Amino acid sequence: MLYKYYLMTVEATSEPATGGGWRERMAENEFLEEKTFKQHCAKFIKHSEEIGDGWEWRNSKDCSDGYMSKMHFQIRNGTSVTEQLFLQVEDDFELHSDDSEVVGPTTASQVIRYEYHVLYSYSYQVPVLYFRASFLDGRPLTLKEIWDGVHQFYQVRLLQEPWSTITQQEHPILGQPFFVLHPCKTNEFMTTLLENSGKDNRNINYITSWLSIVGPVVGLNLPLSYAKEMSQHDAETD
Amino acid sequence: MAEPERPPTSLTGGPAAGEGAAELGPDPNALEPAPSAAVSPGTEEPTGDAKKKIDVLLKAVGDTPIMKTKKWAVERTRTIQGLIDFIKKFLKLVASEQLFIYVNQSFAPSPDQEVGTLYECFGSDGKLVLHYCKSQAWG
Repeated sequence: MLYKYYLMTVEATSEPATGGGWRERMAENEFLEEKTFKQHCAKFIKHSEEIGDGWEWRNSKDCSDGYMSKMHFQIRNGTSVTEQLFLQVEDDFELHSDDSEVVGPTTASQVIRYEYHVLYSYSYQVPVLYFRASFLDGRPLTLKEIWDGVHQFYQVRLLQEPWSTITQQEHPILGQPFFVLHPCKTNEFMTTLLENSGKDNRNINYITSWLSIVGPVVGLNLPLSYAKEMSQHDAETD
Repeated sequence: MAEPERPPTSLTGGPAAGEGAAELGPDPNALEPAPSAAVSPGTEEPTGDAKKKIDVLLKAVGDTPIMKTKKWAVERTRTIQGLIDFIKKFLKLVASEQLFIYVNQSFAPSPDQEVGTLYECFGSDGKLVLHYCKSQAWG
């Protein structure tokens, strides 16, 4: 597995001269190479095709770049898509205990069309989740309406720094406005995950792991079979 | 109702290695509809239908604080979100700190995923091993 080799190479060269500190810095620099990004995307899409999850690969016009793409329809009730989940929250988290009573002009359900793209960021050397959403009549969602769709589980944290989490940017390949989940912390949490799995020689799919973490924030939930597929592949390579 | 005598790890029927399964805060204000706590140690207290709860082993990742009690009996319908909220309270993390839970050390189930389903997919030796990690994911 090319990615695993890459991981091992980095670790082999990071012989600490003065103790753990230097090794930690090397670990922080285990970035994702673009070709590894493409390989993991290919595996991810292969499984998506097996289970009919709707992901496909799209190439840019000159085929030098590419990205994963998926469309998804979300049904949102009059107030919030996560309204029915407030029951799961312990009493201490009172921030959301009143949200279920938001009064709106209508309680009719709405269907929202989400489009998710997974691109490779050259500057951050990590994958990035781009997305846009519109109602069935074509009207795009505003940032506020996007926020209403963020699972309340994440809202407390994200709302503390909204400007650095979901922003609107130009899609690098399509040139159209998309919302983006900011990738500045991706390398940090993925490194922790990879270090932990690397110790057990696990062969994880970077894209699967990463998307399982960031996707649910914006309504994208990966079926569990992606996780099982990773571990099955792991068993086969043992 | 008769209280069946059983060792802490109810599903395997064997004795718990090290610490026994522990109670996940029987909070009378918990919004679970069932009268019993959603998560419980179940060592001395009856847990009703043993099949309703599954054994979960929680392991810390990175520099996340380690829970003193690692083994818990959790109701199958408890969601990942509920479990994360509990762990954060147990570790006294503030609401704004993000905690992730992973199965197979590599995959984060979505917040609405039920623990019982995860046990069926990823459980082994009568328990579900979950890794948890305090991470800065955004901002």
